[in-house]
Amino acid sequence: MTAVTLETTAAADRRRGPRGLLWATLRVHRSALWFWVMLMAVGAGVLLWAYGPGADAAWAEYRSRGCLDGRPSLGCDMGGPAAERYQSATALAGGLIGLVPFLAAAWAGAALVGRELESGTARLAWTQSVSPARWLAAKLAVPAALLVAGMAVLTLLHRLVWTSDSSLRTTIGAADWHQSPAYEANGTLATAYALLGLAVGALAGLLARRALPALGTAVLALGALMIVVGDLRPHLWPVRTLTGDEYPEWTGMVVDDGALTSTGARVSDPICVDDARCLAEHDIVGYYRDFHPASHFWPLQLVETGIVLALAALAVLVSFRLLNRRTARAV
Amino acid sequence: MTETAIEAAGLGMRFGRRGKPALDGCAFRIPAGGVCAVVGPNGAGKSTLLSLAAGLTRPTAGALTVLGRSPAEVRARVGYVAQDKPLYPQLTVAETLRWGRELNPGRWDDKVAERTVAEGDLDPEGKIRTLSGGQRTRVALALALGKRPELLLLDEPMADLDPLARHQLTGTLMADAAEHGTTVVMSSHVVAELEGSCDHLLLLGAGRVRLAGPLDDLLAAHRLVTGRADASLDPHTVVEARTTGRGLTALIRPEGPRDPAWQETVPTLEELVLAHLRAPQAPVLRLDDVQEAAV
Repeated sequence: MTAVTLETTAAADRRRGPRGLLWATLRVHRSALWFWVMLMAVGAGVLLWAYGPGADAAWAEYRSRGCLDGRPSLGCDMGGPAAERYQSATALAGGLIGLVPFLAAAWAGAALVGRELESGTARLAWTQSVSPARWLAAKLAVPAALLVAGMAVLTLLHRLVWTSDSSLRTTIGAADWHQSPAYEANGTLATAYALLGLAVGALAGLLARRALPALGTAVLALGALMIVVGDLRPHLWPVRTLTGDEYPEWTGMVVDDGALTSTGARVSDPICVDDARCLAEHDIVGYYRDFHPASHFWPLQLVETGIVLALAALAVLVSFRLLNRRTARAV
Repeated sequence: MTETAIEAAGLGMRFGRRGKPALDGCAFRIPAGGVCAVVGPNGAGKSTLLSLAAGLTRPTAGALTVLGRSPAEVRARVGYVAQDKPLYPQLTVAETLRWGRELNPGRWDDKVAERTVAEGDLDPEGKIRTLSGGQRTRVALALALGKRPELLLLDEPMADLDPLARHQLTGTLMADAAEHGTTVVMSSHVVAELEGSCDHLLLLGAGRVRLAGPLDDLLAAHRLVTGRADASLDPHTVVEARTTGRGLTALIRPEGPRDPAWQETVPTLEELVLAHLRAPQAPVLRLDDVQEAAV
């Protein structure tokens, strides 16, 4: 009898697959895991379609209209059905990537933490051989790893589509490099914001201790943070400035523009247009435009990523302190 | 002195700044290796006390040691079943037990947990959300017993059970505790269900300790007396006295010789507890040999 028991125990220990808190976290949140896998599949599928058949069809359509033969017609300015489908696909994928941080925040607030505190299952976990801090660490680390992995795949695919079809994009007049959601989806920001969503959600769950209020708080807080950081975005790297007698060309991410006086001072444009007397009266001798060229993509992207990750780290720190203050801690 | 399961000194717990304290200056000692009943009216602080002992919350005053350590240090050695029996509704019974095994590495006993569930005739593949209240209690108890705790904290464990299930589960629990020498601390406001199964009593009222000590000693320290309505109860401590017509019934703590004209009996647990619940102003009696200075 004893031998049999020992054997089965040994067999149980040799079982493959995740163990301990990892298994527990994955099992308890299995439906969320499946949802994430499905979302990844849809996003990746759409992007791969756009990269392959979608782009091919758009080019074929464009070519069949004779737009590449130097015989431009009116039809070349507007996309055909294939180009529209291509554009919808990239917009869908970009939108999906842009939605992930909010989904992460809502889920982390409501299901990951809020519901567990509300229903008491968190207390059930803390009375196993698991401290509240380890419980929270697993709650954050496992989804964070899955978010990073999934977002890395989506971001890389998005970049692949983006870089391979810049001429198609110019032709059909799609979004510029600095426009959301492509800006985030082409770099590290999409992943950073997803992690911020997770951290803010977990903190909201700990604060609200109930699923529904935590969901609302998490989404609103993330939205507010995104607006604040988004406002800072153009100022995170030194701008380039163009000046001239006329307004310089509109290029890249434009930060500011206006008129210049003879002393070189920047003033707001009195809108004289060509009225010489008006110009003389205001001492306007030229115009300037501050902007970020496409080469500023990575510096801007990385500084903002750093800020977002610092905010996420702060939310995590506050969460752990809050949990430690409430529950008994080993001294 | 036997080993100590839980010891409290000046223990206080207050929720919010202005709220009435849930526990206020509690000092008591619960010895290891027996069954201790924590009784008291609703809102007396029973649940608060148990969740402090389980390391789920932190006291706002005083100190609490569990198995000689801080509650957070002995998580692995303490089992806890909350009043509302929280479980993951989306897991099956078998998965719930696996969850317990994964989170209690090195301690988990599959056999104990599975036997507890099997005695309730539960389908291991049934989802928790399909179970009745009694079945949930059984799974929650299986989770706590499977951990092989040295100290088992049960908050109103039998509250939502029918009398038969209550009897069965109490049997399971007491047999397991006796077999493994587990200390059981259970709160209840149904005093009848504790009769015959507990050997230590902690009576709380309004966040304070009212009675504490071995049950036999506490019972022996009281007498239920009946006499004529004009009888003097001096010099005894009167817990509760009621006159009915020309008769007087009182629960007293005898201080010296009693009037031989009285009829007197040792009270039952229920009589002892009910008299104290009806008389909140009765003086505190502690027979649990706490050395205040030592803690």
